[in-house]
Amino acid sequence: MRRVIYVILAILIILGVAKSCLRADVANFDKPELRDKADTIFYDYPGQKNVTVNGVDYLQSQAQLGNFGGTFVTSTIGEGPKTFNPFNAKDNISSTMSEIMYDGLVTTDVVTGETIPKLAKSFTVNGCEYIIHLRHGIKWSDGKPITADDVVFTWKDIIFGGYGNTSTRDSVVIDGKLPTVEKLDNYTVKFVTPKPFAPFLRMLSSPIAPKHIFEPAVKRGKAYFDGYLSTNTNPKEFVTSGAFRIKEYVPAQRAVFEKNPNYYVINKKDEKLPYLDRIVYLIVGDINNQVLKFEGGELDEISLQGANVARFKEMEKHSDFKVYNIGPDTGTMYIAMNMNNRKDEKGKYYVPKIKQKWFRDKNFRQAVDFAIDRDNMVFNIANGLAQPLFTPETLNSIFLNKNLKPYPKDLNKSLELLKKSGFYWDKTGKLFDKSKNRVEFDLYTNAGNTEREAIGVMVKQDLEDLGMKVNFKPVEFNSLVNKLMSTLDWDMVIMGFTGSPLEPNGGKNVWLSDGTLHIFNQRLEKDLNSPRDGFETKLDEMFIKGALATDFKDRKKYYDEYQAIVYDEKPLIYIYSPIRIAALRNKFKNIYPTSLGGVTHNIEEIYIKEK
Amino acid sequence: MQILLYILKRILQTIPLLIIVSLISFFIIRLSPVDPLAELRLNPSVSKETLQAETQRLGLDRPIIVQYGKWAKSFVKGDLGVTSNGEKVSTKLAERIPNTLLLTIIVIFLSWVVGIPLGIVAAVNWKTPFDRILTVLTSIGMAIPSFFFAVLLLIFAVKTGWFPVGGLTSSNFADMSFSQKFLDITHHLILPVTVLFTLSLAGLQRQMRGNLLDVLDSDYVKFARAKGISEFKVIFKHALRNAVNPLITLLGFEFAGLLSGAALTEYVFQYPGLGRLILEAVLKSDINLVMASLMMGAVMLIAGNLIADILLIITDPRIRNGS
Repeated sequence: MRRVIYVILAILIILGVAKSCLRADVANFDKPELRDKADTIFYDYPGQKNVTVNGVDYLQSQAQLGNFGGTFVTSTIGEGPKTFNPFNAKDNISSTMSEIMYDGLVTTDVVTGETIPKLAKSFTVNGCEYIIHLRHGIKWSDGKPITADDVVFTWKDIIFGGYGNTSTRDSVVIDGKLPTVEKLDNYTVKFVTPKPFAPFLRMLSSPIAPKHIFEPAVKRGKAYFDGYLSTNTNPKEFVTSGAFRIKEYVPAQRAVFEKNPNYYVINKKDEKLPYLDRIVYLIVGDINNQVLKFEGGELDEISLQGANVARFKEMEKHSDFKVYNIGPDTGTMYIAMNMNNRKDEKGKYYVPKIKQKWFRDKNFRQAVDFAIDRDNMVFNIANGLAQPLFTPETLNSIFLNKNLKPYPKDLNKSLELLKKSGFYWDKTGKLFDKSKNRVEFDLYTNAGNTEREAIGVMVKQDLEDLGMKVNFKPVEFNSLVNKLMSTLDWDMVIMGFTGSPLEPNGGKNVWLSDGTLHIFNQRLEKDLNSPRDGFETKLDEMFIKGALATDFKDRKKYYDEYQAIVYDEKPLIYIYSPIRIAALRNKFKNIYPTSLGGVTHNIEEIYIKEK
Repeated sequence: MQILLYILKRILQTIPLLIIVSLISFFIIRLSPVDPLAELRLNPSVSKETLQAETQRLGLDRPIIVQYGKWAKSFVKGDLGVTSNGEKVSTKLAERIPNTLLLTIIVIFLSWVVGIPLGIVAAVNWKTPFDRILTVLTSIGMAIPSFFFAVLLLIFAVKTGWFPVGGLTSSNFADMSFSQKFLDITHHLILPVTVLFTLSLAGLQRQMRGNLLDVLDSDYVKFARAKGISEFKVIFKHALRNAVNPLITLLGFEFAGLLSGAALTEYVFQYPGLGRLILEAVLKSDINLVMASLMMGAVMLIAGNLIADILLIITDPRIRNGS
């Protein structure tokens, strides 16, 4: 008897403690709503302009004057940076952090997406010739001037020399030849590409390295350069041109950046920016911890997903942060069918002959497309925080073909298209093809990605309305990649790519018929010369022409055409693009979120105003 | 002399054991379908040349047995190799080991200093209300999963604002004075230590109580009591020495858990220790890093057992004479 009383007492104590710890979360009864583009707030970013003060060519911020000082704390999920050397960075976070420290010659206008001068004062493009005029009198963080020598050294010795991550070099090789770079005088540099090549201008946004610091490292060879300016390097060794430079790096905890006293952006009173003294990146392991840290006040900024958005929106009313809708993400989600009609080494078809007939049939692909209920997925899977997608270019892309209109689910159209190709239904509604084969196939996605798994379930339901039998199989990410890239024994898959809103040429690995990610009709090494499908040839043509044209209008024509082909042929059926949502504390001012730049693109202009 | 010979024999025995452990782990990791380059392969902007260069750099184009041979050769030489990002494994581990040791040593110290006396007191006051309350509390402590308890405490930290939400140091740590630094680390350590301490204390207290109860029931204790020796002497001189043997074995395991025992809690609290590093390495199939940590775990376990056995020889004359 006494024991029972003790147990009850103990439980009561624990319940009491637990109750006092937990404050009820704010209930949220709002239904998710479909947000469209109009909901996105476009702030009127005043931009920056060139001014010359005492012979020095500064960039002048046109934003409101602010107070100096303070710290901005943000975070990154995962292991943190692998290197602070901008030329070695292979992952997102390493590039982000090195881009804070090293500016490129040009940058992207966050409103229009045009290429505008940054470290360069101005540039002129004339066919294959790019003349870059540098700013007079601006300095590295150690006080040495930034000159044409630095630019020539960076491009000729580091990038064209193949040091570090060679992806920049690989992407400017045109017909096997590299562009040339030449110093005209101390503040003028000339680049010449072997052929007109439009994406080159944007490539000039690659960071510029201080020659007097990097030269000894380059002389010691590529192996040494791979470990140069790693995360173990003493922060004092960094000489930078960007708004901030590394001050302290503590593995698995944080990276702290301090302001560069010689930065070349000034405010309207000609005071040197940035306003903030410090940026801190906390390195956190997962999204949940990130959310807790933001709620605990340790973070100033966070990007939000799914259910958290509704909760933060509710909390926003009585807290010190604001939730921003930054517009569509650059990520795309799609369904692909395996249109491969080739045989493997053993003479066996990658895709059984029967299934090939379905997947290579345009009517079949269109029928699948019309059967898919994108709006429903946006509602139920993305909590309304996404937009249906019909084109390979993302919705914020400056190359988006706006003539390709969205359309709703239309089962009747699907049925019609299938009938046209000779498919028929038996009494129970099961779908058969012309040769009396039951239409049954596997649908894959990577297990663990709850979003794609949810899409898979809905796609399966939608397609079963057409009488198809879909076996939905989420498999482990790495084995799926192996299927898609090497063994090629798959039928249908749900995957996603990240794209660029500025440069469609980045997608050439997907769309060129011999591309490494030509996922819907992957050609392995031995098949590179196999015959192309009609629309593949057209896509090849558009991508080659699009890269060679330099005028935006000409390029737009080619890339519009490529989007129209994909819209019609449906090699990839696009589903939706998520909308990016971020929360930021109110004390930060000069915030001008844009779809292309995010929330903190103008980090040097952001200042703190406490209430 | 005999002891030294024994130790030597035990050390020699570990060599084949380590070889088998390393072989099995290496093959399991490599045979798993995890492709360290999968992420790169699905990135539209990565070129074929880059992929090839990466495959060669990581040695993925060679048979597994050759990869193992290469790894084993450098391991024997004391070189742990480089991670898939090209950083030295030894530096990576050296960054994290002190943090993990700080956490685990504090926990082990606290739980032994508190747990053993509590166990003794509970055994001596068997079936009193004090013992029963302790039994309930320790049962809860043993039953609650560490990650769940950790998450509860994290929510507590967020809602009250009394504790930092994970981590080990504040962002302005570098500018603090020594005493501020000390306080800052203490502040960050309280929650993770609480989680691990609760769990480890519960087990230890139960173990100590059980052993001592066993011994207190034996004939020689009854005899000692009948002789009229004071209760204090009976317990500390006669009973305790005999009850402590299983705890020494336990201590050996605690030693093995010094580097790996806190992994789950470390992860929830975003503690910059080995747990997070190794979990991320396993997910990416970063072979050198995973192998290094597995070997370290194996060596620690073997060493812990060896230490426990040696301590047992010293404390227990029965074992000493038997060997």
